[in-house]
Amino acid sequence: MAQSSTADAGRSSAPVAPSEQYNYAIVKKFAIMSIVWGVLGMGVGVYIASQLAFPFLNFDIAQISFGRFRPVHTTLVIFGFGGNALFATSYYVVQRTCQTRLFGSRLAEFTFWGWNLAVFLGAITYMMGFTQGREYAEFTWQIDILITVVWVAYFLVYLMTLLRRTQPHIYVANWFFMAFILATALLHIFNNLAVPVSLFSLESYALFSGVQDAMTQWWYGHNAVGFFLTAAFLGMMYYFVPKQAGRPIYSYRLSIVHFWALVFLYMWVGAHHLHWTALPDWVTTLSATFSILLLLPSWGGMINGVMTLSGAWDKLRTDPIMLFMITSLSFYGMATFEGPMMSLKSVNALSHYTDWTVGHVHSGALGWVAMITFGSLYHLIPRLWDTQLYSIRMVYVHFFLATIGIVLYITAMWVAGIGQGLMLRAFDEFGNLSYTFIETVVFLHQPYVVRALGGGLFLAGMLLMAFNIYKTVMPVYRAQKAAEAQVAGGTEASARA
Amino acid sequence: MSESGQRPEDASGQEVKTTGHTWDGDLCEYDNPLPRWWLWGFYATVIFSLIYWLLYPAWPVADTFTKGLSRVTFEVDGEERSTHWNSRALLVREMQNSDAAQRQQEFLRVIDDSTLDDVLGNTDKLAFVNSYGQGMFGDFCAACHQTGGAGLMGVYPNLADDNWHWGGEVETIAGTITQGRLGYMPDFRDALDAQQRDAVAAYVLSLAGYEGDAERIARGEEIFQGREGGCYTCHRPDGTGLRSQGAPDLTNDIWSNIDVAGAEDDAARRALISQLVHDGVQREMPAFGDRLSDAEIKVLATYVHQFGGGQ
Repeated sequence: MAQSSTADAGRSSAPVAPSEQYNYAIVKKFAIMSIVWGVLGMGVGVYIASQLAFPFLNFDIAQISFGRFRPVHTTLVIFGFGGNALFATSYYVVQRTCQTRLFGSRLAEFTFWGWNLAVFLGAITYMMGFTQGREYAEFTWQIDILITVVWVAYFLVYLMTLLRRTQPHIYVANWFFMAFILATALLHIFNNLAVPVSLFSLESYALFSGVQDAMTQWWYGHNAVGFFLTAAFLGMMYYFVPKQAGRPIYSYRLSIVHFWALVFLYMWVGAHHLHWTALPDWVTTLSATFSILLLLPSWGGMINGVMTLSGAWDKLRTDPIMLFMITSLSFYGMATFEGPMMSLKSVNALSHYTDWTVGHVHSGALGWVAMITFGSLYHLIPRLWDTQLYSIRMVYVHFFLATIGIVLYITAMWVAGIGQGLMLRAFDEFGNLSYTFIETVVFLHQPYVVRALGGGLFLAGMLLMAFNIYKTVMPVYRAQKAAEAQVAGGTEASARA
Repeated sequence: MSESGQRPEDASGQEVKTTGHTWDGDLCEYDNPLPRWWLWGFYATVIFSLIYWLLYPAWPVADTFTKGLSRVTFEVDGEERSTHWNSRALLVREMQNSDAAQRQQEFLRVIDDSTLDDVLGNTDKLAFVNSYGQGMFGDFCAACHQTGGAGLMGVYPNLADDNWHWGGEVETIAGTITQGRLGYMPDFRDALDAQQRDAVAAYVLSLAGYEGDAERIARGEEIFQGREGGCYTCHRPDGTGLRSQGAPDLTNDIWSNIDVAGAEDDAARRALISQLVHDGVQREMPAFGDRLSDAEIKVLATYVHQFGGGQ
């Protein structure tokens, strides 16, 4: 850390101060909002996990009941925490690797307010009971339009910044961010095609129906995972891992091959969420095989990350940020192995509709997405405010809280999912089902308690991070305000004189 | 973490070749070849997929799709059929021809050929009933009547005691399951005023063995047994109820609509009954005759009969 801040100090003595050369103000806003939504979204997550273990926590209040709170949780963590982190890091990375200021300060500002307004309105409308009923796309149609406009603005800002780069080559992280922006636009628009009930109604009817509708939804659903939660965070990884390790990317060739394989293959796999349903068998066969084909391309990203760290292993002893990064890559590798296995029809027959799926998505969401975000934000925030982290020890504590939390969470969900799956297909000596459905639900109680506990630990780590960042940023912020006041006071005094 | 502009070095301190591109001061890339195991791993998944496509329905072609070489053979009504692999055929095979399904069907045929009393009197058949009934009761009945048939005060009657609205003989239970039941008592909100309802309540309590104000009970009896209330028509003059109407026995301290036994004092008990007389009762149990087979209804009826209240 000490080394890097010297390096930064060296850079800031350049003729153009970084704050003028780059638009850091917008990156700061997104970074802070990411943490705010993270605390809220994970808080809601722990609450709904507790509701599953102890249903009285619904308190018969519709607005906070599980059914309404669940999309609040997913929206706040995916689009609030994850989305803001992606805006922050992509705006930072594109500027630094293109060596140019972000295009369109006002447009970028609009993406900030528009995006966060959409997340906020989404959470409020879900609690009021308005939803499209499409997983991860519950936003009502007006909010969908707002998101579309914001996304086009994002695309413009990003593309125009790339176009006016002063570097001859486009850095790999930017490919991933660009793929993420393009694919998300495509997914968002097609999945949300709907006919509003009226101009003043929050309700709408989906354009598609039946299996086409289900197919469109899961084409969207899985590519939200593929492009929003994977490709984009790989972009983050490709900048912050080599930066933090101080090592070159392991293989340029691997990054090209796995990038194209990843973006090509992901688009095919959504139907593996609909095995053993009314969807034609050939559709689900294709999605299963493309999921298997996706295994190695996904691992390409992990290999490139891990091998980049190789040679800098000693840093794991001294740098907790590296711990976050290596752990995130490990969970990424694990989750992208587990996913293709679960997409095989025979495995899916056991795992589908059980908590194994929930465990799987959280080993990706907590293990990969959140951990790489934590690592990147801990790297990013001191540089944005040109300061040092308030406490490195807290970063260590955060790391261990988060890791233990994830392990508890995933293990509990394996027990719950595989256990329930096996119970649902158990026969006795008469050829009858051994368990009623309700017995399998009773079985889930203990894993649910452990899961809530794991989530609680993860949330505790997040709160610690919020505190650490607050203590890191506030002194700088206050000093800046004071300096501005002094300057303003000075001008006033001279005017009076 | 390295100072900006520093070139990467290998272990011996020698500069290693990168692609030559540098971003943001110190970001650069080696150009290592693809790891061998990674590449071969990828080829392996390609081969896996090719085989998979060869065996199973996979690629759309015009208005149909490649069927694959794998086949499913299954039996429908004793006739053997074979088709290309598809999940619908697999389901049929699983439901008709799997070991578990065949064992279950064998037992169900035995039950189908037996009378209800035969089933109750045969330990082998009862063993099957207790296994199959547990699952059926859990999936079809327990949502209302609760685990073990304990019922829910005010809505769903207890099936584990021997106090029956419609009858606890195994044939009657089977009839209840087949046709469903409409539990109905008219409301007396217009027919009786509050004082009258209170008097009826006192009389009903006296039937159940509670003590109370003799004068009030006498007034209540008049209403109950007379034209004003006419309660005796369904609950009968002695208060023991009429099963053909689903009218419960009032001469015991078992209650399914209101928790009289749990009430604090006489006033609270009267208030509960008075309210019920005011509101009337309307309950419905759905019919299962068109959802379950005859054999399955026999299993459920004998299963419920064994809860302890069977007559």
